[in-house]
Amino acid sequence: MSGGRRGASGLIVAIVVSSPVLAGIVYSILGALGVAGPGADGMSLRHFQVVLGDSATWRSILWTVWIALASTLAATILAMGAAAIFRAQQGVDRFARLVAIVPLAVPHVVAALCGVLILSQSGLLARLAFAASLQSSPADMPALTSDRYGIGLIIALVWKEFPFLALVAFALIAQRGVALEETARTLGAGALRTFRVATLPALWRGLLPAMIAVFTFVAGNYEVAVLLAPSSPLALPLLTMERYTDSSLAARGDAFVLVLLAIMVSLWGVIAHEWFASRVEVVE
Amino acid sequence: MNAMRSLPRLGLAALLVFATLLPLAFLVALSVSSDWFYPNLAPRRWTGANWDLLRRSGAVIFSSLRVSAALALATGAVSSISGLFAGRKIARLDGWRGRVAVACAFLPVAVPPLALSIGLQYSLLKMGLGGRFSGVLFAHVVPALGYTTLFFVGIFAVFDWLVEDEARSLGASPRDVIMRVTLPLLRRPLVEAFALGFLVSWAQVPLTLLIGQGLVRTLPLELMSYVSAGQDHLAATAGLVLTIPPLALLVVTALAVRRLGAVIA
Repeated sequence: MSGGRRGASGLIVAIVVSSPVLAGIVYSILGALGVAGPGADGMSLRHFQVVLGDSATWRSILWTVWIALASTLAATILAMGAAAIFRAQQGVDRFARLVAIVPLAVPHVVAALCGVLILSQSGLLARLAFAASLQSSPADMPALTSDRYGIGLIIALVWKEFPFLALVAFALIAQRGVALEETARTLGAGALRTFRVATLPALWRGLLPAMIAVFTFVAGNYEVAVLLAPSSPLALPLLTMERYTDSSLAARGDAFVLVLLAIMVSLWGVIAHEWFASRVEVVE
Repeated sequence: MNAMRSLPRLGLAALLVFATLLPLAFLVALSVSSDWFYPNLAPRRWTGANWDLLRRSGAVIFSSLRVSAALALATGAVSSISGLFAGRKIARLDGWRGRVAVACAFLPVAVPPLALSIGLQYSLLKMGLGGRFSGVLFAHVVPALGYTTLFFVGIFAVFDWLVEDEARSLGASPRDVIMRVTLPLLRRPLVEAFALGFLVSWAQVPLTLLIGQGLVRTLPLELMSYVSAGQDHLAATAGLVLTIPPLALLVVTALAVRRLGAVIA
C-alpha cells in the first residue's frame, strides 16, 4: 500500500473513532444556537446570552473550579509528601507505597459513597464523636456533605485522586529525585536545602501534567458531585444536568451552552497538559 | 537511635494505612451487617443476607450486576479488538497526519462523559437505541475505544514491523499475517486493552443514565439509588462488588510490575 493511501486510511480510522464525539459537539453547537434539539426555537444567540448573563452560571463555574483546584492541590501536596517520606526499597516504605495506591482501584461513585457513609451527620465520624462525648445528636456534627464549601466533596476527591498522583510521584523520586539529591548533597546542600532545591522542583515539574489531568477530570465529574455537592451553588455538571432535564424545553438550549463550556474546560486541560508535558521533557 | 528515627515514619505509615483502608473496611462491615444506626459504633446484627442477594435472580442488585457485567464484558471485547485495528492504522502515520489522528483518538477520552452523553443522546434516540442495552453499549464503547486506540498507538509505536514483513516474504496472506503473526504476538496487550475497556464501562454513570433513560439499570446506578433511599448496607455491598474487579486488576498489575523490578511494589 502506498504511503498516501495508508495515510488517508489511517486518518479515516481516527475520524471514525472520534466521529460520535464530533457529532455530539456539532449537535451541542446547533442545540445552543437553537437550531436542533428538543427546545429548538430558531437560530439565535439567545441561549448564549441567557447562560453567560446568568450569575448562577458563573457561581457554578467558580465553585467547580474551587473544588477542582482545592482537591487537586491537596492531593498533590499529600502525594509529594508520601513520595518524599516513603522512598526506601524495602520494609515499611515499600508497604506504605503499596497501600497508598489501593484507592486507585475504587470507582469514583464508590469513593463518593464512602464520603457519604463516613462524613454525613449520622456517619462514622459522627458516631466516633458521639462515642468520645464530643456531640449528643447528629445536629451537633458540622455538615460535611452537601455543604456550601464542598468540604466532604473535596475530602472524597482527595482520597480518590491521591493514589494516582502518588504513583507518579513515587516513579519521579525513583527515576530522577535520587540522582538530583545526590548532586545537591555533593555540592554541600543540607537535608532541608536538598529537599527545597532538588526534590521539590523535580516532583513539581514531573507532577504538573498529572495535576492538570486530575483537575480536568474532577471538574467534569458527575457522580461524585451528585452524591456530595450542595444544591446551591450547583457544580457545573449538576447545573448542566438540571437544565437538560428541566421540564421546560426552553432550558434545553441553555444546557447545550453549558456542555460547550464543559468541553472548553476539558480542551483547555488537554492543551495545558501537552504544553507542560513537552516542557518537562525539555527540562529533563 | 535508628529505631527512634524510624518511629515518626512508622506513625505516618500507620496514618496512611488507616486513612486509605478505613473507608473500605467500613464498607465491608456495613455489607455484612444490618440494623446499624447512629450512634452505635457496632451493628446489632451480623448477616450475610446482603451478599446472598447477589445470587438471587429476583433481586435488583443481582439483575443490575448482570447488566453491568454484560455491558463491561461486551465493551471490553468490542473496544479492545477495534482499538487494536485503529491503533495499528494510526501508529503507522507520521508527521501532521499522525498528530491529527492521535488528537482525534484523544477526543473521546478528553470530553467529560456528561457532555458526551448529552451530545450523543439525540442521535441514539433517533436511531431507536435510547433506553436499550445496545444503545448504552454503543455509548460505553465511544470513550472505551478512545482509551484502547491510544493504548495500541503506544504498543505499535515500539512494535517490530519486520516480523510482519518476514511473514509476508515467506508467502503469508494479509489475513494470515494478522491471525498467525500479529495477534499471537499481541495477546497480552489485547488482554490489557480488554481490561481497560471493561473498567471504562464498569463504573460508568452519566452515559448509562442518559442513554439508558433509567431503563438500563447497572450496578453504579443502583448504588446511587440505594444511597438516596438510605439503604446503606445494600449500597456498601454494591460498592464492594464494584471495587473487586478493578482491585483484582491492580493486584495483577502490581505483581507484574514487581516481577519487572519497578518502583511501586
